Amino acid sequence: MSQRQIELEVLRYRPEMDDKPFFQTYQVPCEEEWVVLDALNYVKDEMDRTLSYRWSCHMFVCGSCGMVINGEPKLSCKAFLRDYKGKIRVEPLANFPIERDLVIVQDDFIEKLESVKPYIVAKQEKRVEDGEYLQTPAQLKAYKQYSMCINCLLCYSACPQYGLDEKFVGPAALALAHRYNMDSRDVGRSAREHVVASHDGIWACSFVGACSVVCPKDVDPAGAIQQTKFTSAVDYVTSFLPGGKR
Amino acid sequence: MSRKPYVREVPKTTWFLKQSRYQHYMLHEISSIFVAIYTGILIVGLFRLAQGPEAWNGWLAAVTSPIGIVFHVLAFVFALLHTTSWFKAVPQAMRIQRGESFVPGNLIVGVHYGVWAAVSVVVLLLAGVA
Repeated sequence: MSQRQIELEVLRYRPEMDDKPFFQTYQVPCEEEWVVLDALNYVKDEMDRTLSYRWSCHMFVCGSCGMVINGEPKLSCKAFLRDYKGKIRVEPLANFPIERDLVIVQDDFIEKLESVKPYIVAKQEKRVEDGEYLQTPAQLKAYKQYSMCINCLLCYSACPQYGLDEKFVGPAALALAHRYNMDSRDVGRSAREHVVASHDGIWACSFVGACSVVCPKDVDPAGAIQQTKFTSAVDYVTSFLPGGKR
Repeated sequence: MSRKPYVREVPKTTWFLKQSRYQHYMLHEISSIFVAIYTGILIVGLFRLAQGPEAWNGWLAAVTSPIGIVFHVLAFVFALLHTTSWFKAVPQAMRIQRGESFVPGNLIVGVHYGVWAAVSVVVLLLAGVA
């Protein structure tokens, strides 16, 4: 194992004493196979206990440790030091208020996520003893990709539309709405429509596509949104046909 | 302890300068302006054609003037950019499931390029170029 001295530049913000964030540099002795999260943990354990950041699983599953690393939204547990040369700059995810240091305020996302009813709305609720809701492998495949979302918020950090207009429901919440809309066990599409197919929903997305590029789980939220736009446009046109809603 | 979250403002007019990814997006969006102007010029050409030989020749002279040619070269480059960048994005919007698998994105994009080439050949044949 070879060691390397890393210059870690971390955005600090301590609300009780700072008016605005500032960069603090740490010289961290790192092992070659470390990820950025390991370097932060070293700082926290050995150098500066006041540094705050979120993390949990250290294996790209929990979605807690999203940060902007050298300008790119990343899971810090998936950002290997060997892929970086020179100084590494770590900032909290963009487009969210900073609670403290690398910790962002997630409330806006949580509210938006709730608003799209991210759960199966069944046609008829079954009792547990009545058994499972059955599904074929092909039906599972239709939505599986979108169910891989871990709510890490890298997509919101990458989305310029969300940065400019906080009313935008945003990539992950819309991708999760699509996930349930595509689920054969779900009948909640019309119940989600007023949020999803609204001005602040899919139609606010201008398809920059950055969300899908940074997604660590290959969910492709941009694709989910464009597919929903198509369905929503078909809904609109057919609503004028005989028997339609208009 | 009371909270004091810090909000970082996003610059409303210069946000896209921050990343090359955003700049590519802007270039792709701007390309539509050239496509729209070119379409407008073609429509004007149709009207001029309907007005008679004199009007038509005037329009022809305008589009073959040095400024006309420079615009057309620019519009062509932007039209290529517009087409290729949209074609690249098609598999994201068009997901075709066959049983338990999906039609590969490359095939979907390839079909788009194939149709584009075929339509171009037909147009060139009709125009008497090829």
